[in-house]
Amino acid sequence: MNFYHNFFEQAPWILRLNFILSLCFLFITLAMVGFMLYLRLHKNVRARRKKFLDTILIEFVNSYLFDEDFDKKAQTEKINQKHLKTDFDRKMAIKQILMFNENLKGESTLAIKELFINLNLYQLVLRDLKNRNWHKKARALFVFSQLSVEVPTKIVEPLLNDKKGEVRQQALLYFLKLSVNNPLGFLDKIKRPLTRWQQIYIENGLKYAENIVVPDFSKWLNHNLDSVVSFCIRMIAEFNQFENIDKLMPFIAHEKEEVKLEAINSLCRMEDISLIPILISRFDKESIAVKSEILKVIKSIGSYEDLKILSNSMNKEKWNIKIEYHRVACHFKPELKHKIFSKKVGLDKSSFTPPLLQSL
Amino acid sequence: MKRILIIEDNPMVVKSLEFKLKKDGYEVIIAEDGRNAMDKLSNESFDLILTDLMLPFISGSQLIEFIKEKSPDMPIIVLSTSTQEDIITDAFNMGVDDFITKPFSPNELSLRVKRTLGKVG
Repeated sequence: MNFYHNFFEQAPWILRLNFILSLCFLFITLAMVGFMLYLRLHKNVRARRKKFLDTILIEFVNSYLFDEDFDKKAQTEKINQKHLKTDFDRKMAIKQILMFNENLKGESTLAIKELFINLNLYQLVLRDLKNRNWHKKARALFVFSQLSVEVPTKIVEPLLNDKKGEVRQQALLYFLKLSVNNPLGFLDKIKRPLTRWQQIYIENGLKYAENIVVPDFSKWLNHNLDSVVSFCIRMIAEFNQFENIDKLMPFIAHEKEEVKLEAINSLCRMEDISLIPILISRFDKESIAVKSEILKVIKSIGSYEDLKILSNSMNKEKWNIKIEYHRVACHFKPELKHKIFSKKVGLDKSSFTPPLLQSL
Repeated sequence: MKRILIIEDNPMVVKSLEFKLKKDGYEVIIAEDGRNAMDKLSNESFDLILTDLMLPFISGSQLIEFIKEKSPDMPIIVLSTSTQEDIITDAFNMGVDDFITKPFSPNELSLRVKRTLGKVG
């Protein structure tokens, strides 16, 4: 004690400062090491608990699903009271139930859903759905849609326009999965554009989900959001809704390039050849991306004669369009390839250049 | 009692299969990966193999080739998440007897096991 008293009285200030800082750093280091040890210990305890719960839950769910002599009510109550005491325990139970749901189908699906309700997990997930944290909301929606458990629409509907993309995505997947007769009804309620990923998820949902009634996509062709209109135009072709060809035609003159491209592409996929004269007549007014798309349409469903109509327009076109044009020409007349090449590199200057290639 | 070897790395699926097949009266042996399965196949005899295609260490396809070389008449049922036509066709070309896709119906699987063993028996 005397040493410290003397030290602080007599030592120069720099030494005293040094001493104080050393003590601070020592304290911080010890605190950090202690915290790391605590985290490691905590992690190990949780991992042990998880392993223990996994074993018990797998055994329990298997008996619940496949053992006719299993006393479902009593055993569910027992596992609820004895093992599912904390939120962590219940989350482990949800994880296992989702795993069973992912791997089993048929009569087991209903039993899994019933078990989810009987283990009082519905309340926990619903609480997460009302939570302010976006990741909890998104996870809750995922659980409900995976297990096809319905929740009051007034809780889920606002989440379709949540500020977080992940929440919006899970909300629309929820509606897609649970509204079997009107799977795209949520499109009438969304106010934010559909991202490309959301569009892919919806398309996959419609293609691979069981018992879903594919809707008439023309219902949303006048939607306020261009992303919804583009998506529906694409889906009309994807699901071969040929009866909507006439409704798509006006969209090849749409003011938004994204929508226009989608309409041209979809009509081309549905092999509507009446599209070609209209596109040729509009060629000069279009942007480079649309011109390129028009050339692809001619290559796909048009003819060499259609292409020749555009030869005069090529003089004033940019190089990428000219190249695209000649690619299409070579597709129809492979023998022209040599002449285009000769002209370009000057190998055969005396060769005849057909009118089609004069713009080169 | 007929002996069935289950080769699967997902503990949940393993337990479900084991539970269901034991209830149906079969003796069930488990291998969690391809290497373990090869050891068991070299030292023991089975009446049916139920295998996944995506396994640690040795793939399901390599395993099927190994089984078919060792005992060509051994019935094999593949249980896989794959729904791709070429993968399913390849499996049948290698000589598997049945292909069940995940998610699977346990009752349907039970019937298919019974049918496959019935054909052999």
